[in-house]
Amino acid sequence: MFEQLNRGMPQLPSLRAYRALSSVKRREMREGLLFISPWLIGFLVFTILPILASLFFSFLDLKITDGILSTPKFVGLRNYQQLFNDPQIWRFGSQTPGSMWITFRFGMIALPVAILLPLGLALLMNNRYLKGSTPIRTLFYMPYIIPFVAAIFLWGGMLNPETGWINRALMNMGVPRTMVPNWANDVNWVYPTYVILGIWGIGNAMLITLAGLQGVPTALYDAAKVDGANAFQSFRNVTFPMISPVIFFNLVLAIVGLFQYFLVPLVVNNGTGRPGGATMFYNLYLYRTFFVFQNMSYGSAMAWLLFVIILIFTVLLFRTARYWVYYAGEARS
Amino acid sequence: MRTSRFLLILLALILGMALVACGGTATEEPASSPTEQTAEEAAPAATTAPAEEAAPAPTTAPSTSGSGKVQIRWFVGLGTGTNAEQVATQEEVVADFNASQDKIELVLEIVPNDSAVQTLSTQIASGNGPDVIGPVGWTGSNSFFGQWLDIGPLVEASGFDTSVFDPALVDSYQTEEGQVGLPFAVFPAAVYFQPALFDEVGLAYPPQNYGDMYELDGEEVEWNWDTFAEVARRLTIDVNGLNSTEEGFDRTQIQQVGYQPQWQTHTNYMASYRAGATKIYEGDTPGSYVSTMPESWKEANRWVYDAIWGEQPFAVPASVTGAAEWGGGNVFNSGRAAMIITPLWYTCCLGEFAAAGLEFQAGILPLGDDGEYHGRVDADTFRIWKGTKNPQEAYTVLQYLITTGADKLLPVYGALPAIPDKREDFWAGQTERYPFLSPESIAVFEAGLSYPDAPSAEQYQPNYPEAWSRGQTFFDLLLNTAPTQLDFDKEWDQLVTDLEAIYNRQ
Repeated sequence: MFEQLNRGMPQLPSLRAYRALSSVKRREMREGLLFISPWLIGFLVFTILPILASLFFSFLDLKITDGILSTPKFVGLRNYQQLFNDPQIWRFGSQTPGSMWITFRFGMIALPVAILLPLGLALLMNNRYLKGSTPIRTLFYMPYIIPFVAAIFLWGGMLNPETGWINRALMNMGVPRTMVPNWANDVNWVYPTYVILGIWGIGNAMLITLAGLQGVPTALYDAAKVDGANAFQSFRNVTFPMISPVIFFNLVLAIVGLFQYFLVPLVVNNGTGRPGGATMFYNLYLYRTFFVFQNMSYGSAMAWLLFVIILIFTVLLFRTARYWVYYAGEARS
Repeated sequence: MRTSRFLLILLALILGMALVACGGTATEEPASSPTEQTAEEAAPAATTAPAEEAAPAPTTAPSTSGSGKVQIRWFVGLGTGTNAEQVATQEEVVADFNASQDKIELVLEIVPNDSAVQTLSTQIASGNGPDVIGPVGWTGSNSFFGQWLDIGPLVEASGFDTSVFDPALVDSYQTEEGQVGLPFAVFPAAVYFQPALFDEVGLAYPPQNYGDMYELDGEEVEWNWDTFAEVARRLTIDVNGLNSTEEGFDRTQIQQVGYQPQWQTHTNYMASYRAGATKIYEGDTPGSYVSTMPESWKEANRWVYDAIWGEQPFAVPASVTGAAEWGGGNVFNSGRAAMIITPLWYTCCLGEFAAAGLEFQAGILPLGDDGEYHGRVDADTFRIWKGTKNPQEAYTVLQYLITTGADKLLPVYGALPAIPDKREDFWAGQTERYPFLSPESIAVFEAGLSYPDAPSAEQYQPNYPEAWSRGQTFFDLLLNTAPTQLDFDKEWDQLVTDLEAIYNRQ
């Protein structure tokens, strides 16, 4: 899918090619650049410059409380050295694990749901025996258009241990009051709660997967049927390879989203890491380092580590893609 | 030609858009607009090392106003003092002061609480800090450790009689930076208890004089933490009416607790109450800091953990107290707690309790394992910035605020005056709200002023906001995690490891 997207991207010509262009083409290019220059300027000033600044800050000793007029010192790799020795990031297997382990632990629950549930729903939507698939599809997609923060507050109300209708329904079904979950305030329930909140936003992944499913030529299924394939074999040998680029796309986004996980713990548990530090995700710890503890340099180093980790995972995923992602019509190397 | 003109217009448009995008908003909040104080997450900003050297050296050149008077700036925002009523009163106090002066002009600066730390740190860094800052508690002032003036010499030179205060309170402001303040608004801690619940189970009330014994099962025993726990167990009642010490007690259906750690939910608070105040780190530069939290602090926290998760619990986990029927965290207000330990400011939040016809009284704090009473006094006061150009004039203002100005300020701050002569109105207000509050209970609170936590439970630690936050996470873990999932000793060791890493982060 990415290769296909890249193929469609316009490329800027080299200097030699630019000189070789006709004057009309050159003017068109200049005007084109001029038209997109507001975005380019914004991108440079508000994205590239802060990125470079954060890299620079990560080698300094800069804290907001030191004052804007104080001179930060160059400290070399000290922030990175401290970062790799920070138990609050790397500690493994404890009730107060490091924020990186918290992120991984949550990912083990959340990632399968983020990939398999949209796939399952898309298969359901694509089933010819399903009546009223269009309104059902719309219903599944609708939550996605609601602002996520509003949705989190909504879920916060629904999952309120006392007043939320979910617990009330559980109690009406005979679950004792002492046994109903305390959802986001219980160390054992907080991750499932976050996963449930995340399900609210799977409409988009479902729709993309559904589009992929609808793009699978029916002739392939007919051929599989002629060859005697059952439903599972048909899915394994036809459906999955044909939609593997879509699954790959969803997986990449899900992994990037996992490392950037922030909004839900910030809103639901006030960004405190409660209960008992269980929700101190890496990105939340990064945010607190910047804006609560106001340690800009250490926060910058943390941000760059996050960037590198996401890059590594993405590259690894792309490396594995050749073994399981199938691009129709593309020659395998 | 037409194309060029078009391109010129386009270029102007682009530049205009870029300028608009880079500009600030036109509706920025004025610095003086009052806002409500934010909750705990308005955490103070960080400082690592004591910033003594960073403080600009005082100069002798006085800053004078147009009238020739020395101008003294009073910065409000780090603590209370930013709501509309408080702002109006503070303005009145400023007017009163200025009317009484021909040498000093006092200028009030109100900064919203959520931006006060950044505003003040920027002012200080640029050498343009205010002269007088406050009211501010320990937490608010820790962000500016190293920036406070030692007012000891000024107090001495002025001849101000500090004997009007409890000497323990004066000493509590004696820190590594010197005498950084004088007592002003104080909130001594006590055991709040519900006499009716004690009556129901036939237990004697907690003593109301420091040094008194407690009568348990017909015997005089020390009112220490073991006795407190035993009493609390007998006051912890399940759905079947059994108490925590009885066979068949159902810990999953507790209806009333003997004690609940409420709103003092930090490692340092409980440790200060039970084991006593102590400095919890050593070292003077990043790289040299070590945590010196004593074993007794660990045991104090284990005591709380056992209170919730032990074989005979007398408190409930956070998952229970969050429920509406448990007051949504305000457990004592719900009437379900027989005792809590908290400072005097908690009288703010017992409206529903009193409206329900319930009554509370105050008892003394339990005796520590070392045979001493360890109290806590939350306190707000005014401080002077070390870099002030006019320390003498700033001190004149400070002294005015904690004495004459206090008459108007303390009622709107809702605090007990540190000067005994000024307390009558405060207690009159309290007894109006809580007519059942006995003179003995009032005496307990006042006696608590003799047992401040010095150094404060909220004492400075390097990288204070993060270190404080880590202690909070540990306590939150205790409130939320059963022993089947938590190794207390291991978690404590991790707390110490983390604190040292935080202290030494540069």
